[in-house]
Amino acid sequence: MAFRVVVFVSLCVSIGVAWIIESGAADVFLEATRQDFQKIPLGIAGIENLGGSESPEARVKLGTRIEDVLKADVRRSLVFSLVDLPSLGMKVGHLGAEPDPSFKQAAENGVSVIVWGQAGMKSGNKDADLSMDGYVYDAGNNEVVGGKRYVGSASVARLMAHRFADELVFRYTGEPGIARTKIAYVSELGTARELFVMDYDGYDPRQLTADGFLNLMPRWSPDRRFLVFTTYRNRNTQDIDMIELATGKRWTLVAQGGLNITPVFSPDGNSLAYSSSHEGNAELYRLDTKTKAVQRLTTHAAGDLSPSWSPSGRELVFTSDRSGGPQIFLMSADGSNVRRLTFEGDYNAAPAWSPRGNWIAYVCRTPKKEYKLCVITPDGQKRLQLTTGLGVDDSPSWSPDGRHLVFSSTVEGKSQIYMIDADGKDLERITFTGTHNSAPSWSPAS
Amino acid sequence: MKKIPLSYLPLILGVIVLGMPACSKKAVRSGGDMQALQDETAKGGGSKDGTGSSFPDTSFSGRNESNNLRGLDRNPSEERLGGHAGNTGSPGGVGHANAMVAKADSGAVARQLAEIRAEQVASVAAGLRDVFFAYDSFSVTDEGRHALAGDAEWARSNPTAQLKIEGHCDERGTSAYNLVLGEKRAKAVRNYLVELGVAPTYLSVVSYGKERPFCTEHTESCYSQNRRGHLAVKTGK
Repeated sequence: MAFRVVVFVSLCVSIGVAWIIESGAADVFLEATRQDFQKIPLGIAGIENLGGSESPEARVKLGTRIEDVLKADVRRSLVFSLVDLPSLGMKVGHLGAEPDPSFKQAAENGVSVIVWGQAGMKSGNKDADLSMDGYVYDAGNNEVVGGKRYVGSASVARLMAHRFADELVFRYTGEPGIARTKIAYVSELGTARELFVMDYDGYDPRQLTADGFLNLMPRWSPDRRFLVFTTYRNRNTQDIDMIELATGKRWTLVAQGGLNITPVFSPDGNSLAYSSSHEGNAELYRLDTKTKAVQRLTTHAAGDLSPSWSPSGRELVFTSDRSGGPQIFLMSADGSNVRRLTFEGDYNAAPAWSPRGNWIAYVCRTPKKEYKLCVITPDGQKRLQLTTGLGVDDSPSWSPDGRHLVFSSTVEGKSQIYMIDADGKDLERITFTGTHNSAPSWSPAS
Repeated sequence: MKKIPLSYLPLILGVIVLGMPACSKKAVRSGGDMQALQDETAKGGGSKDGTGSSFPDTSFSGRNESNNLRGLDRNPSEERLGGHAGNTGSPGGVGHANAMVAKADSGAVARQLAEIRAEQVASVAAGLRDVFFAYDSFSVTDEGRHALAGDAEWARSNPTAQLKIEGHCDERGTSAYNLVLGEKRAKAVRNYLVELGVAPTYLSVVSYGKERPFCTEHTESCYSQNRRGHLAVKTGK
């Protein structure tokens, strides 16, 4: 795959200096996203296998499995860098809560954190088949700063690793981490497209709808309880529906006739912005989710769609073809102060405002007519193209920590879902089955 | 039991639909209406202004406490991690606070397939012709006008028939913008049919964007097939 970073301006400068915080926003920016932030060197000294009723082979698999998930989570956190402990003379593979004596060399070897643990079948309790212990040794303090003990059924083995990884991120950054986040998306079943939800790493996909027709472009509620999306009632009319993940219960939020697309909740969950053509052509509207009052935000003969909120909820970025082809525009959340953001290229669409506020990701058409991912600062001063190659990239959605994007791409033929760092590094495909996976939406963190 | 290949399903359903006497077809349709009514009720209906009048509070008052991280502990106590639907453990369990459930409804899928097939059969029988568009464009071409002249004639001689005009796009471009482009194409077709004297009340438009392609190759010949205004005889609601 020919994905490469195309750097239009110096990446180092842009990531480090371009703190474009919209005026008045009270968003807090953490050190771990700064360019000069040094990743914390972390070693995993093994998740060992405990005895139990399961076969020895299965037990080996369990420990290895949890350790592999933990390693991938730590790598994707972008907070830690994984170090190889044996090459530094430190021991891996021991049991118990006490640190190995060799860990004392950690500080002089430049290792800040060592984690280890054990996992196995728990006997005598059929409701809690698995247990995992994890411990954290901090080289700065030269002591074990704490640990975790998880129990649960076999279905939560991966979750144990995810949760432990998030505890590590939380311990060292104060942020909740992304290892327990989810990605909602659309997957093709026959000629139908249905809603699914999977773990952020592509595992454990779950089907949410079985309507037999089209359900499109899901977006999360800020409390992660609901998804809003476009559905085709009786194939002939487009409505905006909401589904409750825990129960599958559905409500119709917007049924006005015409196009009703690209719904998205405001960060406080009190508003739903969406595009509807029920008054003629596609315009942006705002539904107050408490009073149910609807406010029209745009008035233009051209199409307005794909709204995305700034983290403070005070501004919206959206797509409009009022200047010919689709371009990215900004406006205040009441519809005032509309101004064009993108001027490079004749097709820019599907904007997504980073939860940190500093970047807006979107789909940019290149001179070779490929549809790729770009990011631009909200003041338009800096722009980067993140992906290259053939095919159509679509539907960028930010991780809640603002360090990654998930998107769909046909770069390998069929539409599949990929993850990429916000600076264009570490492209990773996360869906591998099915004929068409698209429209990913990254959940908020919990 | 030997499985019947899935690709035979439209054929089988088509045979079933075609083979049904008229009264059975009516039963199928009214069943569909019943389903729609039930859906409406289940979804909480909609108010007169077209927005849902009752749905749960979605305001965000803070973190989901039950799912919060508890921090590292020097002497960690057991944290029970909940599983998925049907395996959630104790109510106080942490982990997947939202148990995901699949809403499996094979009846809805079968009903959709049957209705789609019935629509296709009726449209083919009417001899309706589609309109094709250039890349990025929603202008009806001369060839398209020629096709629509025939379609308009059919519509005028079948004045009670409801025609549905579907706007379709090729796979290039974003899903969202292609829905807007598809609607522009469908409306361009509708407007020309109205110019030709077809009553607008018998015409409806819907955009499928690039979500229901007629072919799936990554070639221009396939793309040109998908940039389409498709005319269908509306058989359902």
